[in-house]
Order: sequence, then C-alpha cells, then structure tokens
Amino acid sequence: MTPLPSQSDTPLVRVHDLSVRFAGTPPVHAVNNVSFDLAPGEVLGILGESGSGKSVTLKTLLRLLPERKTRITGTIEVDGQDVLSLQGRALADHRGGVASMIFQDPSLALDPVYTIGQQIAETVIRHEGASKTDAMARALEMLELVRIPSARRRLDNYPHEMSGGMRQRAMIALALACRPKLLLADEPTTALDATVQIQILLLLRDLQQELGMGVIFVTHDIGVAVEVSDRLAVMYAGSFVETGSVRDVIRDARHPYSKGLLAANLVGAVPGTRLDAVPGAPPALSALPEGCSFAPRCAHAEAACSASPIPVWTGGDGRWARCVQASRAEAMAGAGGRS
Amino acid sequence: MSAPILSAHNLVKHFNAGGFGAARKVVRAVDDVSFELAPGETLGVVGESGCGKSTTARLLVQLLTPDSGSVRFDGKVVGPELPLKAFRSKVQMVFQDSFASLNPRMTMIDAVAFGPMVHGASRGEATRKAQDLLDRVGLDPARFGGRYAHELSGGQRQRVNIARALAFDPQVIVLDEAVSALDKSVEAQVLNLLMDLRRERGLTYVFISHDLNVVRHISDRVMVMYLGEVAEIGPAESLYSAPRHPYTEALLAAMPSLDPDRRTLEAPLAGDPPNPIDPPPGCRFHTRCAHAFGPCSTQVPVSYKVGKSHVAACHLNTSKEQVA
Repeated sequence: MTPLPSQSDTPLVRVHDLSVRFAGTPPVHAVNNVSFDLAPGEVLGILGESGSGKSVTLKTLLRLLPERKTRITGTIEVDGQDVLSLQGRALADHRGGVASMIFQDPSLALDPVYTIGQQIAETVIRHEGASKTDAMARALEMLELVRIPSARRRLDNYPHEMSGGMRQRAMIALALACRPKLLLADEPTTALDATVQIQILLLLRDLQQELGMGVIFVTHDIGVAVEVSDRLAVMYAGSFVETGSVRDVIRDARHPYSKGLLAANLVGAVPGTRLDAVPGAPPALSALPEGCSFAPRCAHAEAACSASPIPVWTGGDGRWARCVQASRAEAMAGAGGRS
Repeated sequence: MSAPILSAHNLVKHFNAGGFGAARKVVRAVDDVSFELAPGETLGVVGESGCGKSTTARLLVQLLTPDSGSVRFDGKVVGPELPLKAFRSKVQMVFQDSFASLNPRMTMIDAVAFGPMVHGASRGEATRKAQDLLDRVGLDPARFGGRYAHELSGGQRQRVNIARALAFDPQVIVLDEAVSALDKSVEAQVLNLLMDLRRERGLTYVFISHDLNVVRHISDRVMVMYLGEVAEIGPAESLYSAPRHPYTEALLAAMPSLDPDRRTLEAPLAGDPPNPIDPPPGCRFHTRCAHAFGPCSTQVPVSYKVGKSHVAACHLNTSKEQVA
C-alpha cells in the first residue's frame, strides 16, 4: 500500500468537462459538462433528484456503464490515473483497489451464494495476492471495523441471514477491504429506517476520518448530505448548478433550484402552511432546453435564461452558482458598494 | 374532542409466518391498537418498517379483516351496523406505489370514473365528475384524461390516485406513504394539494409516513407505533417538542439535523428493530431502550395521560393518571 501524499493540494479526483451520452433515438444527455476536484480526505455530497445524473456521474468514476451504449467525453483523473483510458487488468485494479463503491441495496450488491467472509476474502486475494488465511483474517478485521457484533460468527453468514443495517455494514466492509483512497457512496442509507440510517452515516463519517479516504456521497436527502459532507454540489438535469461548503449552500443558497429543494425539505417551514414548492417536473434528458435547464420551472426566469452560456456567480472558497439572477444580484451589490 | 368520525377499537391482526403446531410462527403485526379521529383533523402515523403502520391503515379501511376489534364510522360499527359499500364511499385510501395502484389498461379518466359508476352513476355523470377532479388536482383533463398510467410521471400518477379517492366525496382519506416515492420538489407540490383539498372539503386524513418532517408539517396529532403497538399519541406540537416515550425521543433524535454546525454525534439507538414474529416480553421497546429498568422486561406498560390528549405507554410515566 502506498502512503497518502502528505501534500494535500494535489486533488485525489479531478473531473473536467465530463459529459455522458447514452445512445438511443434521441440520445440521452445524462451528464453535461461537469467539473470538480476532490481533495484527499474530503467528503463531497452530490445532491439531486432522480434522473439528475448523480448516479451516472458516480458510475463513470468506476467505468461501470455499458461501454457500447455510452459515450463519455472530458477527463477523469483519480489518484493521478486517467480513468477513461484504463483497460483490462489496470481497470480491474482501479475498481476496488483505488476506488470502490457502496450501493443503495446491499441485498442486490452482495452475492447470495457466498458467505460475507468469502466475498471480502476474494477481493483481498485478487487485489493484494494474500493467502486464503490472511484474507480471511482481513475479512474478520473489516467486520470488526464496521462494528458488526460477534464478527467471527457473522463471517460465515450469507447475506440473507443478516438484517438490512447489518448487510449495509457488510457491504461497507467489502468496499473498504483493500483500503481504497476513494469511496463512492450511491444513496447507501436510502432503504434504511431512520434509526439505522443515522448509525450507518455516523459509521461512514468515523471510517472516513480513521482511514482518511476521499468520499463522494450521492443522495437525494439534504439532511443526509449535511450529516456527512464537507462540500455540497447540487445537481439538476445532468449539470452541477451550485457548489460550496455545506454551511454556505444550506445557509445561503443562491440557485433557485437549491432554494426550492431546501423549502421542500421543510427547512424553517411553519407547520400547516403552504410550501414554497417548485412547480412542474425536471425536463427529459433527451430534450434539454437551451440555456438554463431549470428556467422552465423557475419563478425568476427571463429571456437571458434561455441563452447559452449561463453566467456563473462565484463566491470565495470554491463556491459558485450557475444562474443569471444570482450573478446579476452580485454585480448590483458590488456596484452599490462602490458608489 | 368532538364525536369521532372514525375510530379503531382494540384492533388485532396476526399473520401466519409458517410452521405447524408448536413451531407455528405468528407475526404480531397489529396488537391492540385503538385511536380516534375527530372530523377535519389529520392524524400522522410514524414508526419504522415492520411497526404495523400499513397494516393499521388496511384494517382501518377494511382491506384486511381484524382478528379482533372493530372500526367505527360515525359511531356505527363497520360491517354489522354500516354496510361495507356505504363505508367505502366515506373512507378512501391512497397507496405509496402510484403505478401499482392504477389499472394499466384504463385511461386516467376511466380510472377516476370507475368507482362512481360502480356505485350507480351514469357514464356521462361519472366522466364529468372525473374531468372536474382531474382538473382540481392539477391535470388538464383534455391532455391527461386519455393517457394510461405508464404515460404519466410519478407525481402525476399520485395526483390521479388522489382524484380517484375524491370521486366518492369521502370524508376520510387514509394516505399510506402517499408522497414517499416522489422527488422532494414534487412531494412539496402534492403536499400543498393535500392541504388545499383538506381545507376546501373539510377532509380528515390519516397520514402515514416514515418522514417525521413531513408528518409534523401536515398533522394535528401524531401516533407513534412500535412493533404493532401504539407507543405514544398526542398533539404534533407537544409530541415533537416534549416526547414522553423514549422511542419517540429516539426517532426524533435520529432525524438528520440539517444544521452543519450541529451534526448528530451519537446514534440514539443501536441495532435494527427486532422481529415482529417474536416481540420481546413486557415493553416491546425495552431491548433498545436507554431508560429500561425493573418492570420494563416483564410488565406490559399501560397508557398514561401525560398531557392534554397526549398519551404514552411507558413505565417512566407511572406518576401520571392511567388511561383506560
């Protein structure tokens, strides 16, 4: 295992101008010109609704999308490696070795005919060439790491013999078995009850700090994103519309869609009153409107919103929002300050 | 409280979970659940999966027959005193899965008009009513009336299901996780629609959800269920601000904080909810409860009056007055 570079300025993940198209008539524009960096040990939450492209972005980082039907443009670098050019064994080394993923439904992600111990050991044998005994010892260590009670006995359990929360812990153990530098989490707590969800979130937060990994956490739930993330990116119709530190985005959202999401999550709502709901539904990804994709649903939309490119408002500390209104508000405030 | 419009009296429903004779396993889905609904109020029902909230909903609308206990509508026992057909037009239900609850071979206008026709309305009358209702839930009947379920989005389908429930001019609607499968921005629209309809028509809701934020927003009173039993029931305001059952307290503490400076530091409960096949003796929550003491593992707690129309079934409240 190579030690983490002490220099934290070199990002662990560098995604530039990433676009993903799925073949079809018409083609589906699932991800559009997404760029972001992730520092080692940083947690980025990607917040979006179904069909916003958040899961596709995550899967692209592991190259899990069907190759013949997908066209990926742009660049992805993870730990200095160009992920889009990886082939064969090098790609297999990347998956699970450098970056690994946990999914929403562990009963689908785990293999039903092998025990938890066997599945973890298999990964360790493949990636580190360990002996069977050593790999099993690592599997036990991993189950203890994710705080599964009576771990030794659980090693011989099949996935169906475990409860939902326990299975999710087992999947986290499997994903972390080879100490990846990057963990991709795709709605890992959505299927869980609230009291179990918070346990898993706290576990992920602890493990992230213990192991110092970078994490990209995809969710539709603002509350969950706030619990785990350092930085937040709000995604809509395949594009990032706003990013910033969790604190800034939650306290001072600039994009009307982020504001709408916060209102829909009842942040500061008075019980029984009408909610400030965003009307309509997201556009079809096969027929995105010109300019801002959110304009058709936006209460502040104007002519400039349907012309490309949409101006970007930037605040300090990697904070920006792609919105005509937000950038104009800032310009006016600036002018007012000078006069 | 004024005379209840709908009430549940000691409802019990056990399901067979396989096995014979002594090895027979029984899921105690709902065990002695009683509550009342005042006209025009909204009762939220919360709890984890397997706590019996959906079974309670199905018992309430008579989709399931209780093993024992009864449901009363307007003081009349449903079944012996009030025929099912009359009851059904007064109490309707909306389910979580908007797609599965619509007939894939029916257009939306037919789906909404079907019920009134079964109850004796003419086709023309029923169709007109269906058009009005689709319009009311925000779907243009000319555009959406001829479509099939697969041609609508999830939010649109759930609007159709609400229109269908309204087709009988019911007084009570039971909403079983009706907004849970929707995206947040669409969920907010449907919640607004439900609140508008409630005001316009004086509807009474039973609103079942696992989302405590949403339940607080829409409910007047909230019932917390744990492993088939009512743990606590009371006004939303006092139940959220001063829960009197440790389980309610834990559920509230498990909600993500939405404040980056006050993140949750400790999980309020360890482990998963126990299996309703073999619930723990005494208080069913005692195996996960931080405050468990002597009687909890042996004695089933009775209900104590802990505030104005606020009741909790927990031994910590023994100083309070018991509720029969």
